[in-house]
Amino acid sequence: MNDLTPYLVISTTLFCLGIFAVLTRRNAISILMGIELILNACNLNFAAFSRFVTPPDDISGQIISIFGIVLAAAEAAVFLAIILAIYREFSTISPDETDTLKG
Amino acid sequence: MFLSLMIFIPLLGMVVVLLLPRDQEELARRVTLGFTLIPLLLAVVLFMQYDRSASDLQFDFDTVWIKAFDIHYHIGINGISVTLLLLTALLGPICVLASWRNIEKGVKAYLALFLLLETGMIGFFCAQDLFLFYVFFEVTLLPMYFLIGIWGGPRREYAAIKFFLYTLFGGVLMLIAIIAVYIKGGTFDIPTLIDLASREGHPLADRTFQIWAFLGFFIGFAVKVPIFPFHTWLPDAHVEAPTAISVILAGILLKMGTYGLVLINFAMLPKGMELFCNGEGRWGNAFAVLGFVNIVYGSLCALAQKDFKKLVAYSSIAHMGFVILGLAARNESGMNGAILQMFNHGVISAMLFLLVGVVYDRAHHREIGGFGGLGSRMPIYTGITTVAFMASLGLPGLSGFVGEALSLLGAYDKFPKLTILSTIGIVIGAAYFLWTLQRVFLGQLNPKYADMPEINRREIVTLVPLGILTIVLGIWPSFAMDMFNEAVKGLIAPLG
Amino acid sequence: MDTLNNVQSIRYFIPELILVAFAAGVIIYDLIGRQEGGRRAAHLSLAGLAAALIAVLLVGAADRSLFLGMVQLDSFAVFFKVIILITTAVTILFSMGSEELDPRTKGEYYALLLAVTLGMFLMASSTHLLMIYLSIETVSLASYILAGFLTHSPRSSEAAFKYIIYGAVASGTMLFGISLIFGLTGTGDVVQVSNVLAELFSSGGGDYQLAVLVSIIFVLAGVGYKIASVPFHMWSPDVYEGAPIPITAFLSVASKSAGFALFIRLFYSGFGSANVIESVDWSLLLAVVAALTMTVGNLAALPQQNVKRLLAYSSIAHGGYVLMGGVLLTAEGVHAILFYLIIYLFMNLGAFFVVILIAERIGSETIDGYRGLVTRAPLVAISMGIFLFSLTGIPPLSGFIGKWLLFKAVLTEEFYWLAIVGLLNSVVSLYYYVRIVKAMFLDSSDEPNPVSFSIGSRALLVVFVVPTIILGLYWTPVYQLSKASLGKILG
Repeated sequence: MNDLTPYLVISTTLFCLGIFAVLTRRNAISILMGIELILNACNLNFAAFSRFVTPPDDISGQIISIFGIVLAAAEAAVFLAIILAIYREFSTISPDETDTLKG
Repeated sequence: MFLSLMIFIPLLGMVVVLLLPRDQEELARRVTLGFTLIPLLLAVVLFMQYDRSASDLQFDFDTVWIKAFDIHYHIGINGISVTLLLLTALLGPICVLASWRNIEKGVKAYLALFLLLETGMIGFFCAQDLFLFYVFFEVTLLPMYFLIGIWGGPRREYAAIKFFLYTLFGGVLMLIAIIAVYIKGGTFDIPTLIDLASREGHPLADRTFQIWAFLGFFIGFAVKVPIFPFHTWLPDAHVEAPTAISVILAGILLKMGTYGLVLINFAMLPKGMELFCNGEGRWGNAFAVLGFVNIVYGSLCALAQKDFKKLVAYSSIAHMGFVILGLAARNESGMNGAILQMFNHGVISAMLFLLVGVVYDRAHHREIGGFGGLGSRMPIYTGITTVAFMASLGLPGLSGFVGEALSLLGAYDKFPKLTILSTIGIVIGAAYFLWTLQRVFLGQLNPKYADMPEINRREIVTLVPLGILTIVLGIWPSFAMDMFNEAVKGLIAPLG
Repeated sequence: MDTLNNVQSIRYFIPELILVAFAAGVIIYDLIGRQEGGRRAAHLSLAGLAAALIAVLLVGAADRSLFLGMVQLDSFAVFFKVIILITTAVTILFSMGSEELDPRTKGEYYALLLAVTLGMFLMASSTHLLMIYLSIETVSLASYILAGFLTHSPRSSEAAFKYIIYGAVASGTMLFGISLIFGLTGTGDVVQVSNVLAELFSSGGGDYQLAVLVSIIFVLAGVGYKIASVPFHMWSPDVYEGAPIPITAFLSVASKSAGFALFIRLFYSGFGSANVIESVDWSLLLAVVAALTMTVGNLAALPQQNVKRLLAYSSIAHGGYVLMGGVLLTAEGVHAILFYLIIYLFMNLGAFFVVILIAERIGSETIDGYRGLVTRAPLVAISMGIFLFSLTGIPPLSGFIGKWLLFKAVLTEEFYWLAIVGLLNSVVSLYYYVRIVKAMFLDSSDEPNPVSFSIGSRALLVVFVVPTIILGLYWTPVYQLSKASLGKILG
């Protein structure tokens, strides 16, 4: 695979799947998984661009990927903590059913 | 400095009133009266000192306020503003007296807001810097909102917010025009801008630009005047406002609109004015038609009113129509008439609202049909009312006649048909005033009011100076007209 | 401009290091002595902020690029750092008196606030796509937790929940956009991005038009989310209503300011070159966004009964006004933004402070709770009136001057429709601000007893009222200051 295109196709597919999951899933865990898909699409992009676009000795894209992975983990941790708090208060983790704030 | 004193003494008064102890209401009233009498005194001095033979700015004072934008604290007066200043300063103490007894809650706050309002009004008539002009224009909004909203009648909240929203709406369109003028002209100084706008080739003199700027300013002022169809806030505000505030509203605030039209639209944007007043083309009659509509529509509405105060409010709309018509004529007699009418209307409508306030304080209603035969019970009151009514309907010999006649005379030159049609307004005016006179004062005394007390001394004091002015100006109009005649000539001169 | 390596940079990075040290210090202190309800932790945090402020001013605007081009230290960054520090300090003062917060966890709360401050510092100074993303995430992650800090309150948890769902998607989308930009230009440095893009579009660049437009829109998702612009504003009313009130105030001022700092730096230095604008006119797109943002914010505010929520919508609308200055691509526009943010800081924090006071002393967040306030607590009522009229933009209050500069900038560029939309919006906004004023001044309360407030609260209130009035009458110093802060942001 010495071509950028397949990587971009895969990453775009991942991104779209992620957005799709976020928009359609009614369960916070599934939404989190969708978000992870989006972030992984980005990481794949950075790695691919680093391999094909930037000069060979410039690995900044790959470094950004690593940062992305770390941040995704941090975000997941916070997300799960908030899901726990939500479950304690509402006994559900569906965003549709936690709707006391309106107007 | 003289003018600055006049502007800021009421503001100082506001601070003093706020610092007075809470329970000293009587003292607060006296202090306020004092602080409104000083500007009156100054205004009288100003009136004497003013050089009637010159058309340029007098008592000019100019200092930099915000350097980065070339915003100046520039104040000065010409003949037109000096008459309106006198009117403002005169109505100040009268209104304080008129609210002596009938404002009971929050006296201190009322008086403080009133003084702030007075600062805004006096400042507005003195401002010669567009930014300052706008600030003073808007400064009058807040106190007015609270004065109507807190001390008004049953629907005060609705009336107050309606007034506020309408005026702010006009204000923001005016603000766009102000910024646009500033960007083109590079200064806020009104005399400089007027000068630049008359130079061929300057971006300010561009016809298209002038027309758009004209519309921005026009809507801002039209809401204030009010010109049909922006008038609907006025009857509500008047009916709900306490007497003194109605007086200020009709006497001064409406004049801010027409004064603005003269100062900005007429003098600074002649090409815009030209388009709407030259009597040719699709838009040539627009200004005059608006005046005509105001006169006839206002009169017809007044005729239909059952509420005394609403009748006076609609008659205000009609009378402001004469001002618009006179301005549309753009000739000496039209302009003179319009400005004289501004002053006269300020005096007469103030009287009318004070008179309505007098019966309202006694009877606690304003139904015209609910009175009857008061003439026998309250002869002095009836006498003063008759003078005010006659002045308002334009009886020769009283002040209302001169202004309206001159306006019509001027307008007849340019718009003969419209002017003739507008005289219908005078006929209707006579009808509703005389009819009201008959219903309220003549006939059988309504037994409910058999022991209605006669107008008291304090009320007489508020009315008499206005009554005297009405008579004096009716017989000797040049007393006021000499003040602004030169300024008017200066305004008309560029039109050739 | 000098680009410094990692070692050389450290001495210019002292303010940030101070914040890190104090954040860590607060956590440690909290572990040792948490009995006293977080009061000392608050003092320690305030000391940290003061130290950071002094450091920011001492280090000054060195006009250097730090850490091999990751972070820029210029007057623009300093300006925003000061704004952010002030807002954080005020937030801590608000929180100290707040009874909604659990005293046992206040130590962590302050530490998190310091962490957010650090993130915002970086938002204001990042010049690399990676740093931009990292700084946004730092701010966001800590903000999610702060919004949900009231563990016993369903509203607060729900606020955090909604915040993180919207936030994670928005920042993910932004990262995707950043990755595309990185792929198109092969660099992460914002200035080089600009150069490469300008080169790409120098010969028309038709092939790249769509790709660049899509990436810019994706990046905008992240930025728009931070400044709560349409269509990424949906989270903000819920979060503002549910979060602890000091955090709401903090988010509405500091988070928004940092968002604008990032927006200006990224869009002006990154995507602002003439070649790019010619083919991908994001400024027109943003003008529409600004108009929609203020309209949606104002219209949605009209029927609100909860004052917090009302102010949330109002702050969306104000984001729209400020964004107007951002679409012009002129120094005047950016200048107007900086000026407006100073004014907005005082009037908006002031308004939220009143909300806090009323929530605590009267126990109400709805407009009904404000009825007859002028007789019960005249100072608070009058101050609130001043803040609200200033937010409306009525002269002679400072909000008018802020708006005036914005509209002047817009009209100078002859964006007439935008100015008209903006000004008509101010008229609409009057209507809902006046509803609160009406309740306070025109209505009477069922409960006539006066409410008293501590000396400290009243003094703090006056601290907000005075600039709100004074800056409306004489604003030259602030004007000069914000002008000097423009720096070289516009190239």
